[in-house]
Amino acid sequence: MKRGRTSMKFLIPNNYNWTKCLAVAAMLVLSACATQPPANDPEAVAEYNEINDPLEPTNRVILEANLFFDDILLKPLAQGYRFVLPEPARDGIRNALDNLRSPVILLNDLLQGEWERAFQTTMRFCINTTIGIGGLFDVASDLGLKSHDEDFGQTLAVWGAGEGPFLMLPLFGPSNIRDAVGLAVDSFSNPFTYYFDNIGYEWANYTRTGLTALDKRSRNIELLEELEKTSLDFYSALRNLYRQRRADEILNGQPGANTTAPGVTFQFDDGKPRNETLLKN
Amino acid sequence: MDIVLRPAFSLFRTAMMVVALAFAGASGTAAAASPEQFIDNLARQAIAVTSQNLPQPQKIEQFRTLLNQNFNVQGIGQFVLGRYWRAATDAERAEYLRLFEDYIVHSYAKRFDAYQGEQLKVSGSRQDPASGSVMVGSVLQAPGGGEPVRIDWQVQPAGSSYQVVDVVVEGVSMGVTQRSEFASVIRRGGGKVETIIAALKKILSHI
Repeated sequence: MKRGRTSMKFLIPNNYNWTKCLAVAAMLVLSACATQPPANDPEAVAEYNEINDPLEPTNRVILEANLFFDDILLKPLAQGYRFVLPEPARDGIRNALDNLRSPVILLNDLLQGEWERAFQTTMRFCINTTIGIGGLFDVASDLGLKSHDEDFGQTLAVWGAGEGPFLMLPLFGPSNIRDAVGLAVDSFSNPFTYYFDNIGYEWANYTRTGLTALDKRSRNIELLEELEKTSLDFYSALRNLYRQRRADEILNGQPGANTTAPGVTFQFDDGKPRNETLLKN
Repeated sequence: MDIVLRPAFSLFRTAMMVVALAFAGASGTAAAASPEQFIDNLARQAIAVTSQNLPQPQKIEQFRTLLNQNFNVQGIGQFVLGRYWRAATDAERAEYLRLFEDYIVHSYAKRFDAYQGEQLKVSGSRQDPASGSVMVGSVLQAPGGGEPVRIDWQVQPAGSSYQVVDVVVEGVSMGVTQRSEFASVIRRGGGKVETIIAALKKILSHI
């Protein structure tokens, strides 16, 4: 995507710590790996494998960079977007963006053998594009055809691919090897992208990308502020939230085949049973 | 930050709100014949009380009472500390549990005002033989329509009633999330339990 080269200096707060920023950039270049625990500590090894984040030091640096970019550009823009446009307008934009994503959702419904959901996606697209005036109104939801999302990362998971090491992507945020591949495939599998390109409406694709970013960011302003404020380790909170959320999305919200609740299983590490709770690992 | 803020985040806020609601200040344990009824009672009381006009410190104290009566706070705190519980001294355990409770109370207390007429509808329950607990399914429905939020409550029998041991919002377990976060803090602090105690004290000083 082409971008203007206008200086963004005016967007940078004066008090920003440039030394830190440079140090961060240097660390990014020297990208480090997480230290592996000693093999004689099996619990630590198990934990290391479960976290599956060998690039943690680099990932943390990328998160810092993302947050910096967010501070100077994305968040102010999202605040502006929300300030300028009333809620119904933003809802309409969101509906239209979702509608334009339908082909990707449909493709992945089909690839996962979810015929009923594929049918829903098709019907939603037909109804919302016509009666919903180009997707601005989600008429289909009112008719009982609820929206759902799918992506190629989920398809890969359904096909049996593991998630691979955790990744913090520049700009895109939390991900993993599988979902990063999925993201790339999804970006190439939307026919609207090619359609707009072919008829010379490249601006439509840029607008769509930009609005998608603004839409998502504007809906999460307070939430992220709060998460940042109340979490003890923001990076690890994001990593874990992302992982659990994806697992749930892959199962389309149904309990897993081995239906163990994703929740708390009490395991008291002093090994003594307690009356009031149940032991299980 | 990240341009594509995954739906992961929207549920976190809801989770905080739900839990805040669930505690917003009713009094007494909800004695209940079934886990579904227990959750239903909890939600009703919470909603009734949220609509009351009380000063914040009073709400916080009611919240704390409800938390201790209807949630297995010590069990959750222990679960969240994970394998580091074993390494902790008695004094550290006691201090940690006290701070953990404060941390929950103060994180959620900020959301008391978030209630906008949502209703919690219990939709059923299923046994989770692996952990011996019951998962109570529910959805939180906003008054204006909107997408309902799926919330599962993991409850265990306690005396004549039940206790919540985890809240799972759209597939995200609050207990598991905190456990992983606490472990990360401790690991980065060289595996010392005092790191998490210091971190909790620090965050409590400004939330």
